[in-house]
Amino acid sequence: MDTVAAVDKLFARYAAVLDAGKVAAWAELFDEDSSYAVYCAADDERGLPLAYMLDDCLARIMDRVKFVDEVWRGTVEPYRTRHIFQRTELESVGEETLRAESNVLVAYTGKNDVSGLLCSGRTEDIIRIRDGEALFKERKILLDGTPSRYLVYPI
Amino acid sequence: MSEFTNIQASVSRQFKVPADLPKVIFSDPDIYREELQRIFYGKYWHPVAHRAELTELHSFKTAWLGEVPLLIHRGGDDVVRVFINSCAHRGALLEQRACGKAQEFECPYHRWLFDEKGCFRGAPGRKDFRPDFRDEDYGLRSVRVEEFRGLIFVTMSEHTVSLSEFLGDASQPISDAMLDDGRLTLLGYQRVIYQANWKIYIDNDPYHAPLLHSAFRLLDWQGGAGKLVTTDPEGHMCILYQVQPYKDNGFLKDPSVVEFKGTDDRARVIALRPVTGITKHIDTINVRFARPLGPDSTEVHYAFFGHESDDEEYAKHRVRQASNLLGPSGFISIEDAAIYNRVHATSGDRGYQHFVKGVGKERAEWTQNDEVSNTVWWAHYRSVMGFDKA
Ligand code: FES
Ligand SMILES: [Fe+2]
Repeated sequence: MDTVAAVDKLFARYAAVLDAGKVAAWAELFDEDSSYAVYCAADDERGLPLAYMLDDCLARIMDRVKFVDEVWRGTVEPYRTRHIFQRTELESVGEETLRAESNVLVAYTGKNDVSGLLCSGRTEDIIRIRDGEALFKERKILLDGTPSRYLVYPI
Repeated sequence: MSEFTNIQASVSRQFKVPADLPKVIFSDPDIYREELQRIFYGKYWHPVAHRAELTELHSFKTAWLGEVPLLIHRGGDDVVRVFINSCAHRGALLEQRACGKAQEFECPYHRWLFDEKGCFRGAPGRKDFRPDFRDEDYGLRSVRVEEFRGLIFVTMSEHTVSLSEFLGDASQPISDAMLDDGRLTLLGYQRVIYQANWKIYIDNDPYHAPLLHSAFRLLDWQGGAGKLVTTDPEGHMCILYQVQPYKDNGFLKDPSVVEFKGTDDRARVIALRPVTGITKHIDTINVRFARPLGPDSTEVHYAFFGHESDDEEYAKHRVRQASNLLGPSGFISIEDAAIYNRVHATSGDRGYQHFVKGVGKERAEWTQNDEVSNTVWWAHYRSVMGFDKA
């Protein structure tokens, strides 16, 4: 499979597993020494380091899965999501490594079954190709503004 | 009779004691309008910024106090001034950025210019202005400001007591949370909108039983051994305890995120009336600037801080911990977030909320996990709103 097809597959699978509520499968899309973080874009531009979610190693990504699946289940208000990614950039930055950017919109359906926009933003990704398969080495999400509700699941 | 007078009489009949809250106070729009007047624009001090957010001279931040837009500016003389963020001419919102640096403010509408002390400095066509126009009458309206440990407080009322009197015994815990000297550094914000009345937010944020937190149980964290301080008359509530070092029980793959790596083991949780939460927990320092958006909605800006003396490694640890633990999506406090919304969801059912744990005990015997500690505030609220006149 060529590289672009592998990246497309990664993006598609990423949206599919999150929208199916399979957070453990989401974690499997990250490479060994990977990171995942969600920031507010304006604060990031100001150089403020705080994030909404900050998983700077795979162990933290796995811990996030545990919280979503085990710890919070009975307390938080659940919602369905629909992730739409549109890739805006893809370039090779080394052997088996790519840099990507994409726009992201997440719709959600929660209380009273009303659907709305959860958040909009963009991603900055470093992707690694291993045996023809693409995995995230880094996924950084920059939100355009305040999400419509508190975030439970990864974006 | 005004709309409020009608509802005031009926709420008074239901609101017999501060431990039984008629839920209508969380959902009625006329009560909400009246709260803006009596509480948000009344005799209270509201933290609207910390000096750490205004890093340099001439820095500014915009914010809201209820429906009043504020422009918070650190002048070249290092004095923090707070103005109503509205042009003195026809009222255009003067500064629309969230933050930035400026030595003067020019209104885009008719190009009136104001200096950083809020004085009118000129405008095109000035010679044709009405005959009674005097420059000194057209400055920006300023708001009373006082500062404590870097926290900038404002009040809209001329009759508010001094800040130190308002804070009372809450001063010390706040000072502790601001690491004594208030020389904090801004790490960033987490912003969220809760579908909850502002009183539900503050009533359940700083204080609640650890029973809520499955995370505490799984991490073998104990709570409840803290000292409790409540103030009169507003009922600020402070919980003082010691950070308990986390003992790894294997639950987390990366326990470093909940580790205590600092040396200052004072933990503080403060509900500052009417609506601000301040916490110092493990290695995080957090001020929760909250703003009511209506009876059913509250916006909270969780501002996290470090200290000027932090070395690079410790600063990084603070960022990791702050980003993951105690914000609206934090491992621990996401459960709080859910509760604000879930408590608010029933506020239209014409029923009551009841405080039971610790109610009836002498004040000296109240403990951290007694619900009774919130009733000082509720007694105050009841009287400020005139709900005690049945
Ligand atoms: S409204 Fe600002 S100059 Fe006229
Ligand atoms: Fe909590």
